[in-house]
Amino acid sequence: MFLKAALLSVCLLPVVTSCSEEELLEPKPLTSLADVEAFSNPDRVLAQVNGLYSSVKNGQFLGGRYFIYVDVRGEEFLNVSNNGVTALQTWNHTNNSGSNEPTNLWNQAYLAINRINLFLEGLDANPTVVDAALASQYKGEARFLRALTYLSMVQLYAQPYTKDNGASLGLPLRLKGEVGTGNNDLVRSSVADVYKQVLEDLNFAEQNLAATNTSAALNTTRAHKNTAIALKTRAYLAMGRYADVVTEAAKIVSATAPYRAATGVAHQLQASVSTVFTNYTTTESILSMPMSSNDLPGTQNGLASYYMPIVGIGDYSLNPNGIIGNAAFTATDARRTSFVKNDFTGDAGRIRLTKFPTGPQHTDYVPVIRYAEVLLNLAEAKARLAAGVDADALALLNAVRGRSAPTAVYATMASKTALVDAILLERRIELLGEGFRSNDLLRQNLPLPAKANIQAVTVAASVYIWPIPQGELNVNKLAVPNP
Amino acid sequence: MKKLLPSLWVWFALLCLPALAQDRTVTGKITSSDDGSPLPGVSVQIKGTTRGANSNSDGTYRLGNVPENARLVFSFIGFASQEIETGNRSTINVTLQVDATSLSEVVVVGYGTQSKKTITGAVSSVNGETIANKPVQSFDQALQGRAAGVNIITPNGVLNNAPVIRVRGVSSINGSSSPLIVIDGLPINSNDNVSAGGFTVNNPLGDINPSDIESLEILKDASATAIYGSRAAAGVILITTKKGKEGRVQVTYDGWVGVTKPFKLFKILDAQQYMDYKNLAARNAGLPDQFFPTLNADGSVVNTDWYDVIYRTGTAHNHNLGVNGGTKDTKYAFSVGYTDQEGMLKQNSFNRMTGRMNISHQLNKAIRLGANIALANSKNQAPNTGTTGAFSTGGLGRLPLVLAPNLAPRNPDGSYNINRAGNNMGLGKNLVGAGGYYNPLPDLELSRFTSENNHVLGNIFADFTLFKGLTFRTSYGMDNTTVEDIDFRNSVHGEGGTAGGQAFNIFTNIKQWNWQNYLTYDLQVGKNNFSVVGGNEVQKYTINRWGGARQGLSDPFFTSYQGNFTSNQPPSGNFQSQNGLISYFARLDYNFDQKYLLTFNFRRDGYSAYAAGRKYGNFPGGSIGWRVSEEDFWKNSLGKVVNEFKIRASLGRVGNAGISDFGSLSLFNSGLYGTVPTFFFAQAGNPSLRWESSTSTDIGIAFGLFGDRITGELTYYKKDVTDLVLPEPQAPSRGIPNNFILTNIGSMANTGIELALTSSNITKGKFNWTTSFNISTLKNEVTALANNNADILAQTGGLESSNIVRVNESIGSIYVIRTDGVNPANGRRIFINANNDRVQYDHSAPAASRWTYVDKDGNAPAISGTDRVVVGAAIPKWFGGLDNTFKYGNLELGVFLQFSGGNVIYNGTKAGLRDQRPWNNDIGVLNHWKQAGDVTDVPRPVLNDNISNGSANPISENVEKGDFLRGRNIMLAYTIKNDLLRKANLASIRVYAQVQNAFIITNYTGSDPEISTNRNSNTAPGVDRNSVPQARTFTAGLSLNF
Repeated sequence: MFLKAALLSVCLLPVVTSCSEEELLEPKPLTSLADVEAFSNPDRVLAQVNGLYSSVKNGQFLGGRYFIYVDVRGEEFLNVSNNGVTALQTWNHTNNSGSNEPTNLWNQAYLAINRINLFLEGLDANPTVVDAALASQYKGEARFLRALTYLSMVQLYAQPYTKDNGASLGLPLRLKGEVGTGNNDLVRSSVADVYKQVLEDLNFAEQNLAATNTSAALNTTRAHKNTAIALKTRAYLAMGRYADVVTEAAKIVSATAPYRAATGVAHQLQASVSTVFTNYTTTESILSMPMSSNDLPGTQNGLASYYMPIVGIGDYSLNPNGIIGNAAFTATDARRTSFVKNDFTGDAGRIRLTKFPTGPQHTDYVPVIRYAEVLLNLAEAKARLAAGVDADALALLNAVRGRSAPTAVYATMASKTALVDAILLERRIELLGEGFRSNDLLRQNLPLPAKANIQAVTVAASVYIWPIPQGELNVNKLAVPNP
Repeated sequence: MKKLLPSLWVWFALLCLPALAQDRTVTGKITSSDDGSPLPGVSVQIKGTTRGANSNSDGTYRLGNVPENARLVFSFIGFASQEIETGNRSTINVTLQVDATSLSEVVVVGYGTQSKKTITGAVSSVNGETIANKPVQSFDQALQGRAAGVNIITPNGVLNNAPVIRVRGVSSINGSSSPLIVIDGLPINSNDNVSAGGFTVNNPLGDINPSDIESLEILKDASATAIYGSRAAAGVILITTKKGKEGRVQVTYDGWVGVTKPFKLFKILDAQQYMDYKNLAARNAGLPDQFFPTLNADGSVVNTDWYDVIYRTGTAHNHNLGVNGGTKDTKYAFSVGYTDQEGMLKQNSFNRMTGRMNISHQLNKAIRLGANIALANSKNQAPNTGTTGAFSTGGLGRLPLVLAPNLAPRNPDGSYNINRAGNNMGLGKNLVGAGGYYNPLPDLELSRFTSENNHVLGNIFADFTLFKGLTFRTSYGMDNTTVEDIDFRNSVHGEGGTAGGQAFNIFTNIKQWNWQNYLTYDLQVGKNNFSVVGGNEVQKYTINRWGGARQGLSDPFFTSYQGNFTSNQPPSGNFQSQNGLISYFARLDYNFDQKYLLTFNFRRDGYSAYAAGRKYGNFPGGSIGWRVSEEDFWKNSLGKVVNEFKIRASLGRVGNAGISDFGSLSLFNSGLYGTVPTFFFAQAGNPSLRWESSTSTDIGIAFGLFGDRITGELTYYKKDVTDLVLPEPQAPSRGIPNNFILTNIGSMANTGIELALTSSNITKGKFNWTTSFNISTLKNEVTALANNNADILAQTGGLESSNIVRVNESIGSIYVIRTDGVNPANGRRIFINANNDRVQYDHSAPAASRWTYVDKDGNAPAISGTDRVVVGAAIPKWFGGLDNTFKYGNLELGVFLQFSGGNVIYNGTKAGLRDQRPWNNDIGVLNHWKQAGDVTDVPRPVLNDNISNGSANPISENVEKGDFLRGRNIMLAYTIKNDLLRKANLASIRVYAQVQNAFIITNYTGSDPEISTNRNSNTAPGVDRNSVPQARTFTAGLSLNF
């Protein structure tokens, strides 16, 4: 009996084994999705679209640090914490190719680029999962995000377009999805080529994005036609193509005040600037990065972490010699009374930017494009294009300025130059802490001003722009460092 | 009916016998040749019959109806059998000879046993007795120095910190270099990552009661390990637990109590020395004095010995009760164990309860059933010791070294001396503090970090003897562990201080089942002996881990996660994974006349982590041997002296899974965009990944001299590890997650010689002296790396990089900036940069002119990481153990020495001890440079100088030789066996006292040359950075045999 049983079990062995072979050798991960299943239904495709937004929203990039870096390279902020991991080297212009800040941002931005490229290819490879119209819209969103990423990067890692019409070295333009090994070598395209790609993506996006999304929240956190147009005004302004700024802006800015977008999402300024930083999804916020208590920017990435004492670390205070010391920024300006404070306990009277006040969980939405910027982009373009003082430009400037400082609007302007200067000053006041200052200096080919004990950086200095990270240079044999 | 026949025949024979011869009753007493003690349970049988008896507890036996001129056979396990002709005697007393060779005759190997005489693979055996009753938490800690080729390092003095075990060197870079552990045939999960979160270390091997272990075998070469295939690249440790023995029930009790203390603590500055020295440093920096006395209530100056706040004399006790017995058919061994050990660090403890039941039963002639089942509950408790983060500002290894001695842990009013806003130590009268360091007292008193295992480990089996020689075994085993990690951080100060208190509870459920089915066939044809094993094994491992996080304790009254908090945080520690293994294996042992030996092993493993089409790998291993001593020419010549001489050689290949469970797959992870769900590309898998491969060659001899009074083995080995899985860097602009893809690209080699000797030196009367000795050499060399052999820099605590993996160097070699002492002219540290220029540093100079050339004028570029060079191997090049046992009558003295060396250690702790920030320093700094011409190793102190002594960048000044000789264990024991005890039903009493870590001889100036701050890291060994020192433990114990 036992003999038979034993022999039977020996004989059964291969059977038992083969039954369980699949179960044993091909387990599926339970908390990650295999790549082949990422396009298996419309919900997953949508989740991937949101995954693209969350990729650019990473705290190393547009979830926080990008804006910090662009601002602290300028003169508006002073470093308080002397902490090597919170933008110190960016603030004091000591980044080299091995530094963490340029490296981490580069890595995260290109990770987003690759996810976007893989998504675009995946949509093409799985044409039936979502209907064609929705697929086009998703592609529009993906290409919008690719444009946003490349535009943000090219302003940090490359010479300004306006220096030499984009002849300088730009970025490696990765436009295909990357999964396996190899394909490391890719030359840096010229700055002009990068802008060309940005515009191509934005034009595609404008064509394919929805006119409006279904809710105020989605209109702020997901791209639509006007989002692409708004970003084009920024891109053209950076290129110094002012006529194109005017052409694009005209699509979303009415000819006369009150300025608003006639089609698509009805963007307009809110009555009070402080509303925009408490109600994150008004029509003024064209694109913002949403935060929630379960989706935070991460330690030492949140804007409030940098600017706010007590609820944040407060690494940076406002420079008394920066824009807050400028007479144009009047004492009663709502942007000063709402966002500039110096009475925090134990903070030695430092002047703080309180636009992003929330902590210790930094759940403030991060503004990426605001309607006020579009108005100032348009104002500047018009002012620069006109032979004399452009009345429209002045009106646009006053629309932004008058909202917060009604008694300080400019009745007249002495000259074209005075108007342009006033608009540039207004950008510093209106967009303080929103990631514009050093990019604005660069597109004007101006030095980065001195601050505290940090000397000014001339346009010829190697640290005028960020270095290409060593990790890229080590492996991408065709990439060359910035001079 | 068949079965009845023989017994009928016996009855018939018995009935007839009296008529044939004159029968009588034979009685007598059986004693041991060892110590003359009576031997119970000895089988006494009349040769040629089935009749017999067993001796009683006093060693006496009585056998009736013994025919005249019968031959009696006396046999007992561990003793040589004796045959005695009765003649016409009625009283026969017998002394059985202890049979040393019979005990060691059989060696446990994978899926079976082999004869020690004929084995051709490289296997080291360690008797369970040598590791029992040692003041350790896990058996592997007690294996140190016991086996040739096996190097074991205790990383620091925190209880149940998993030792670093390396069998014949480092076998992987990215994967594990720890051996596979197999208990009674069941491969177990020995990964010390069972615990998550918190600061507690938790070695699941600590769940095994060392007292339950009968023997350990370490399989080293590919011939011995190939049968474990893809899990064998780092060697295999086979554990055999104590099984029941036929005969009278034996009950044993073992207990010990002990005390443990730090072995060596640094001498650091007291309050006055600190203030004097640091103020001098401040003045040298152009600053006014910064450090001033704080007074106690009685007007005396605060002078805190921070060691007293952190260390204690820990007490420990340990108890084991074992029951062992059996009949011919049923054998059993039960045991229960309890150990409760306090560490030398406050709040560090280890507590374990175990139960084991080993049973086997012969159901009938053909079927044997059995089970080996162990249950364990073990609880580890440890504060933040720095074990899981060398630079932790709350690490107790570090705090007593940096905190100012002129500050008290408490204010005069009893409150903690803390700065609430900065969450760091209060300043007292000092103007500056050490930085973010915590006052350790609140964490010790209010926080709690534990990791508790419930562990079921066991297998059930059935053996079917199909016909003579052919056995089928099926065995099902499980290794299930649940782990509860509790991490409660108080709201007052320290780790949870800024969050107002935090709690993380994490629960982990690890399950592994394993089913083996195999046939064993033994066949003898003339002088040809065959033994064949073949079968299969399937195994599945799953891990499920989840946890919660809360912060903002509502009231200090609450001390647990379940208390009230103001906010719930995202989950902590969530993790789910699994893997499966399907294997087929076979072994052929053949020998001719026990003279010409051959073994061939083969295993085919399928493992789930690899991509489809690449799941299976084949692992062959073979060995040959020649017992020259069995040849007549040898017997007639050398044989008188060298009674045993075997030459053996082996070759084989085994594997190592260097990847995670889903490492070959391309994966999307999910998260949130604000509040909506996302999927995003998160892992670029490599479908062409395969096993790391380890090809070993091994040549050796085994010998016995003077009738095995001296036995030994000498072996040369070479282990070529290829196809190492390494992250191949990708251009970051490609946007591959983490910028690498795992690829089989690296290789390295380990070579060495092992010598093991045992000797019975003197046996004279009651005096007996035995020695066992082993020594091994190891040379590791990295031969290929990813990205055109690009260096891999390994980090300590995520901050400091003092190890490098570089081609043509030993793995993880120490990589530091060269220094050239202190310039006698000006007291500045001299560094040597990459251009071989001598440059010196003066922290008191303006920032632009701090670095100057020594040998020419002008400012020099600052020293940086690119000036580092390789200064030596971090893993020991030789190591071993020397065990001497002296016996006089019942008195026994054991002295076990362990040694290791040939390596260098990066003594980063010294960099901290001489850091010129407001940290405390060791008294060595008082020998600092004072005036021109002073020759010293300590530069002129300048407050806040963190460069001159190696904090900012590791320097060769802090690299030291790691050679040491340690008195690992010294034991004195006395055994009492006498009639008085016997009347009390006690067979013997043994009392002993021992000291673990008795002494050390070394030139190393750190706390201990046996250290591994980076614990089990393959790439950053030999670093001493703020680790808790080793402990010394005194124990006294008692063993009772009933």
